Amino acid sequence: MNENVIDRSRDITILEVLDRVLNKGVILTGDIVISVADVDLIYLGVKLMLSSVETMEKLKSGKH
Amino acid sequence: MEKLIYSIIKGTENPAQLISVLNGLRGISGAKLEVVSCERIAAVVCSVQKNAVVTDRSGTLEYAGLVDNLSKEFTLLPVRFGSVMESNDEIRKMLQKNYKEIEKNLLKVEGRVEFGLKVFCDPEKLQARFNAKGEAEIKTVDNTVKGQNNSVFKDYVNKKLIEYRIEESLLSYVNSVIQEITECCAGLEAISKYKKMPSPTNIIDALFLIDKEMTDQLIRLVKDLQTRYPDLNFILTGPWPPYNFVDITIS
Repeated sequence: MNENVIDRSRDITILEVLDRVLNKGVILTGDIVISVADVDLIYLGVKLMLSSVETMEKLKSGKH
Repeated sequence: MEKLIYSIIKGTENPAQLISVLNGLRGISGAKLEVVSCERIAAVVCSVQKNAVVTDRSGTLEYAGLVDNLSKEFTLLPVRFGSVMESNDEIRKMLQKNYKEIEKNLLKVEGRVEFGLKVFCDPEKLQARFNAKGEAEIKTVDNTVKGQNNSVFKDYVNKKLIEYRIEESLLSYVNSVIQEITECCAGLEAISKYKKMPSPTNIIDALFLIDKEMTDQLIRLVKDLQTRYPDLNFILTGPWPPYNFVDITIS
């Protein structure tokens, strides 16, 4: 086992967590609203939204 | 304030235990947890500012961590992240309206945990193996069309035939591995789901719902499978709360 394998396992686990939390479980249909910088964004796909939120936060804090 | 729902749990005969467990836990960003009960089921929730579930990756992982901690103490149905309702009254009505379905799902997952098994391959190695087999079969085809002088036509047909053979061989190989996994896991009395070839490297994505007591046995079986298939990489994750075995959509 090398570090790459360990890193890959860790990445897989995080992806597994996100996939479950964002896409599975009891689904309450209707609007899920995630807000960034006081702008309400209607939920379309939380996975996409999450990456947008992170990108926007980076942009806000000047970390590119 | 709105209410963010984490999980729906099976009510306990000892409400003091529920309160003591929840007192020791916190929601996203340290939010205080509340319980909304309806007969023998309850929702674990926290207050969030109206229309403002602000989150990032770490918030989502925090959410998952709480659901995981709750699952160690209670039988539960995880609720998809970001599910908010107007008030505790609305949640109670939702629980009441969907009571039978929720209870049925809770019964299905009681005492059980979910595991994920991903099987990875080196696609180049695997393709090379099947390619050799495909080419061998093409030779036979070549002989049958000897009379054909149109080499462009022949090349095209052969190329397509090799692709088809590789795909066919790969699928047949994946099916044989799934069959072996199924046979190995027969004694676990698991509820299982399989997805074939979700990506070129990930040839099998399997999910199992098993009794908690069967955990060690499943780990042993996967180790055994790994020994039998040294060219493949078996990655087992879990135990998870039963995210993939909940079958409720509430409108």
